[in-house]
Amino acid sequence: MSKPHAIIVGAGFTGVATAHDLALRGFDVTVIERGDICNGTSGRTHGLLHCGGRYAVKDQESAIECIDENTLLRKIVPQAIEPNGGLFIALDDSDLAYGEAFIDGCEACHIPLEQLTPQQALRLEPNINPRLLTAFLIPDGTFDPLRLALSFAANAKKNGARFRTYTEAKGLIMDGTGRVTGVRILDRQSNKAEELRGDILVNATGAWAGEIAEMAGADVPVKPTPGVMVAYDQRFVQRAINRLNKPGDGDIVLPQRRMVVVGTTSFEIDDLDYVPVLDDHVDLMLERGAELIPAIRNARIRGKYMATRPLISSGSGRSAARTFKCYDHKETHNVEGFVTITGGKATTLRAMAEKTADVVCEKLGLNAPCQTKEVPLVSYRQYYALPN
Amino acid sequence: MSQNKWKITLKIHRQKEAEAPHFDEFALDVDPDEYVLDAVERVWAFMDRTVCFRHACHHSTCGACGMRVNGVEKLTCITYIRDVTQDGGTLKVEPLRNFPVISDLAVDMGSLYSRLDTVGARSVLPVTQAEAEKKPADWPAGDEQYIRLADCIECGLCISACPSAATSSDYLGPAVLAGAQANGLKRNPELLGLVDTEDGLWRCHSAFECTAVCPSFVDPARRIMDLRKQVFVERFSRVFRRS
Amino acid sequence: MDNKHNLPSPAKFWTWFNPIGRQTGGWAFILNRVTALGLTFYLFLHLVMLGQLAQGPEAYDGFVALMHNPIIIIGELLVVAAGILHGLNGVRIILTTFGVSITRQKQLFYALMAVAVVAILVFGIRMFTA
Ligand SMILES: Cc1cc2nc3c(=O)[nH]c(=O)nc-3n(C[C@H](O)[C@H](O)[C@H](O)COP(=O)(O)OP(=O)(O)OC[C@H]3O[C@@H](n4cnc5c(N)ncnc54)[C@H](O)[C@@H]3O)c2cc1C
Ligand code: SF4
Repeated sequence: MSKPHAIIVGAGFTGVATAHDLALRGFDVTVIERGDICNGTSGRTHGLLHCGGRYAVKDQESAIECIDENTLLRKIVPQAIEPNGGLFIALDDSDLAYGEAFIDGCEACHIPLEQLTPQQALRLEPNINPRLLTAFLIPDGTFDPLRLALSFAANAKKNGARFRTYTEAKGLIMDGTGRVTGVRILDRQSNKAEELRGDILVNATGAWAGEIAEMAGADVPVKPTPGVMVAYDQRFVQRAINRLNKPGDGDIVLPQRRMVVVGTTSFEIDDLDYVPVLDDHVDLMLERGAELIPAIRNARIRGKYMATRPLISSGSGRSAARTFKCYDHKETHNVEGFVTITGGKATTLRAMAEKTADVVCEKLGLNAPCQTKEVPLVSYRQYYALPN
Repeated sequence: MSQNKWKITLKIHRQKEAEAPHFDEFALDVDPDEYVLDAVERVWAFMDRTVCFRHACHHSTCGACGMRVNGVEKLTCITYIRDVTQDGGTLKVEPLRNFPVISDLAVDMGSLYSRLDTVGARSVLPVTQAEAEKKPADWPAGDEQYIRLADCIECGLCISACPSAATSSDYLGPAVLAGAQANGLKRNPELLGLVDTEDGLWRCHSAFECTAVCPSFVDPARRIMDLRKQVFVERFSRVFRRS
Repeated sequence: MDNKHNLPSPAKFWTWFNPIGRQTGGWAFILNRVTALGLTFYLFLHLVMLGQLAQGPEAYDGFVALMHNPIIIIGELLVVAAGILHGLNGVRIILTTFGVSITRQKQLFYALMAVAVVAILVFGIRMFTA
């Protein structure tokens, strides 16, 4: 039997990781992306390689996913990661009170944790707010968004996957029995329309997943929730600095190259394709960031930007679950040959791909185990170096 | 951000398959404190869905959005509109030079990426090596343990601006030579054969355009000169080792 | 697809001399190319003229007379200027190659060019008053 052909729409973290997983399992893979790699949310993500601490109190399922994947990614893509750990710091009584639940949560989610005195913390990170009351050392990290995605894409390409970038999915091809058999695409490099046939279509368009699902008459409960981030021009810290409290606005400061990036906020929008960077959110980042690292006030803004979370809508904003979901549309809307994977985080890209590939294999009756946990990724530069 | 809006004309380089390159003009209301990339993205979102351009991180860590703005290489995600035009002015946006154009503003960076791999340019390195030149006084003790992403974001601006790169596609180019220099000949003797060549170190003719346009503090020109010194010392000492 | 128009090619050599969008070091680069071409051209001219001199005494006298023509003197001054500019630009390249003044290569260039202007003036005055 010839290889089954999987078409993946979207080359964000989810799409490229799924391409890598399916290519390893022996699929013939084509990825359709209307921009270049990381055109959507993935490129503009904050860049925290979560250890799960942020979710350890309220959303332990996500927290466990994070610590497991964090450990794995450090091994398979060291080329895109600053693996320096993180601190959760308490600045007031409410933070201290949260600390109790935090310790329990991290323990329950097997997140390694070390409590530090303010003096110890300041010795590690002299630029954090000297008024801190306590600190916890946890295994956070920073990643380079484009290079994280390119690493997976490069590996997929090495294993035969084709990437059709600057190619937009315009509609799905249905065979009349409620089965998706392909996709109508517009090649934006030539402005030519084409049709592409496949055995299975994977919708990995993140916040745009609803638009693609609708083309098959299905829908997914994804609620696009943007957030604003601000990069400053000095590397004040070596570790990710988190506020020890329940997740809120501007409570994470990340080092990245020669910068620190403060993020983020959370709001709802209608037009997904262009979200403005709101001034008051930028001001808020300075204010909240300076609580964690006072010297940020003396730094200059290097970039202000935003991205849109693909949250699965159960609850709203910060209380919505941060886990991912893979929908088999045969089960949701009786549409065969079509699955959607959305939600989740950058940190969990590999796990999302594994889950999706499992669903795809089961649907096609294939028995091909996941190998992405073991395979170290080739240089991300091979994505551009290898012929398509 | 300022409240006043500017009216500007964005002239975007267009080229689809088999089409002759030309410019399309778009009239836009912008905030002078927005970045050039924001304006280009708005053209895609609201005016012309066929515009192709490369971008990802929007804060100068990925190197995808390099373009020529009014003739000069810029990382468009951190280039304020107020710094490159005025109210009523035009912004001419073109793809980088010396790379094949994929479409409109997007270029194929394959040559840069594969050469960076050839010289083993590191994407992450110990913080102390990354900041060797300029180490802040208040750094924590024991900082050797920290790893960070390298300065070079592989944006290709230096290759686009380099007049020597404009004369030959075979020239390794500033970013690649800078990556080799950061590795060092001592630690990587095999680099000698790669950089001590006509299309390596010696094609640089000291125009310093690379350093002038580099958005990420790499200073490739200085690194090229330093690598020449390393090569000179190495060749010289080999003469004596042989005799 | 013709996506090669953006690639380096000797067929587009005139773009190598385009100063628009270039910065100090780029202008130095262009100046070096232009003066080099000028000097090379002069070298050929020089050889041709030397060939003429070998034709006999009349040719020699005619040539010496020609050399007092102001237009020729301006031409000679141009040659001297190109030599000075090219030479001092070469000094800039040697110095920076050996690590001198890399962070101040613009200042180095302007300083050397100031020297060049003074030297050209001095030569000019002497040539026209001699
Ligand atoms: C503000 C913010 C901060 C975040 N911070 C972190 C963090 O610190 N750590 C972390 O782990 N996670 C973080 N996340 C979450 C993470 O960034 C996202 O979960 C992840 O990027 C989603 O990836 P994706 O591939 O599912 O979606 P996307 O990256 O959006 O990919 C979808 C792709 O589909 C393409 N597409 C859409 N429609 C079409 C079409 N019709 N045809 C072809 N292609 C199409 C788009 O161009 C896009 O490239 C953050 C998210 C936000 C919003
Ligand atoms: S050296 Fe500078 S300009 Fe050149 S690719 Fe690297 S970051 Fe870009």
